[in-house]
Amino acid sequence: MIRKWLHTLDRWAEKATRKDARVHSRRAFLSGLGASVVGVGAVTLLPVFRGSAFAQQAGSDEGDPNSCDYWRHCAIDGYLCGCCGGSASSCPPGTVVSDITWIGTCRNPADGRDYIISYNDCCGKSSCGRCVCQRDQGDTPIYRPQTSNDLNWCAGSQADVPYHCSLSVVIGVND
Amino acid sequence: MTSTLRSTSRVVGRTVAVLLCGWLLHREAGAATPSVQAAYMLGCQGCHLEDGRGFPQRGVPALNGFVGNFLKVPGGREYLVQVPGAAQSELSDERLAEVLNWMLRTFSPAQLPADFRPYSAPEVGRLRKSPLAEVAPVRGELLRRLETVAYL
Repeated sequence: MIRKWLHTLDRWAEKATRKDARVHSRRAFLSGLGASVVGVGAVTLLPVFRGSAFAQQAGSDEGDPNSCDYWRHCAIDGYLCGCCGGSASSCPPGTVVSDITWIGTCRNPADGRDYIISYNDCCGKSSCGRCVCQRDQGDTPIYRPQTSNDLNWCAGSQADVPYHCSLSVVIGVND
Repeated sequence: MTSTLRSTSRVVGRTVAVLLCGWLLHREAGAATPSVQAAYMLGCQGCHLEDGRGFPQRGVPALNGFVGNFLKVPGGREYLVQVPGAAQSELSDERLAEVLNWMLRTFSPAQLPADFRPYSAPEVGRLRKSPLAEVAPVRGELLRRLETVAYL
């Protein structure tokens, strides 16, 4: 399907290029091409929603991600990865993110919307020990494991235990 | 000259494609997650992951490219509702039916039987009253049935 679409696009572009070559100089074309390349680079910098991507941009953000009070940490229980060499959405070097995790929501005070947060653990090094944070909003007992923050989710990771720190990754908006 | 033009046109064509995709993605910025998908994210994605690939190494079955097969053998339709993650979820019968239908269509459209009939709330409500106490033997039996009928 994509191949067919690209083929159609190639044919269309070829026609357009031939027509363009008849009426414009090579230098003008190169200048246009350069602008297109810069444009493509600029597009990748836009705050883009990627439905299937690991992290998603929250609409607007305020607060310190390394503080336990930060809105995204509303249900976290662990060490904040931002204080351990990583960030609120990326693991520190030398650790591996646990794919299996639990997912909840936190309200962003900046826009009043409820964001879906993935509380992945970072694993493979001993406990970070800095910025411990336990807020537990919506946390359930471990007999409801899919919404429990008492579990060591590193047990579901490729790296396995030990646990190092926890992330609060925005993965959607729950309006 | 022709080949130069061709390769130049490919560059231009693909540049346009990338710009188009970037524009389409940008239009979605900040969009709310569809509510059925949000229910999947909050109740299922933690283990089955965002694309349904699961984590078979840790006993979390993959849904993508497979789960629809269960509807091809006797007992499979019931099984998908009676597994603990579905039957004991916090979702209402109506919501659970919607999420199951969404998962089947999203992760396993190619395996769905031609006469696929979506789950209804009353059907889900009836089935989830009998959750499976032992999942592995039932799953094993269903997989054997699938092999027998050469659906895989």
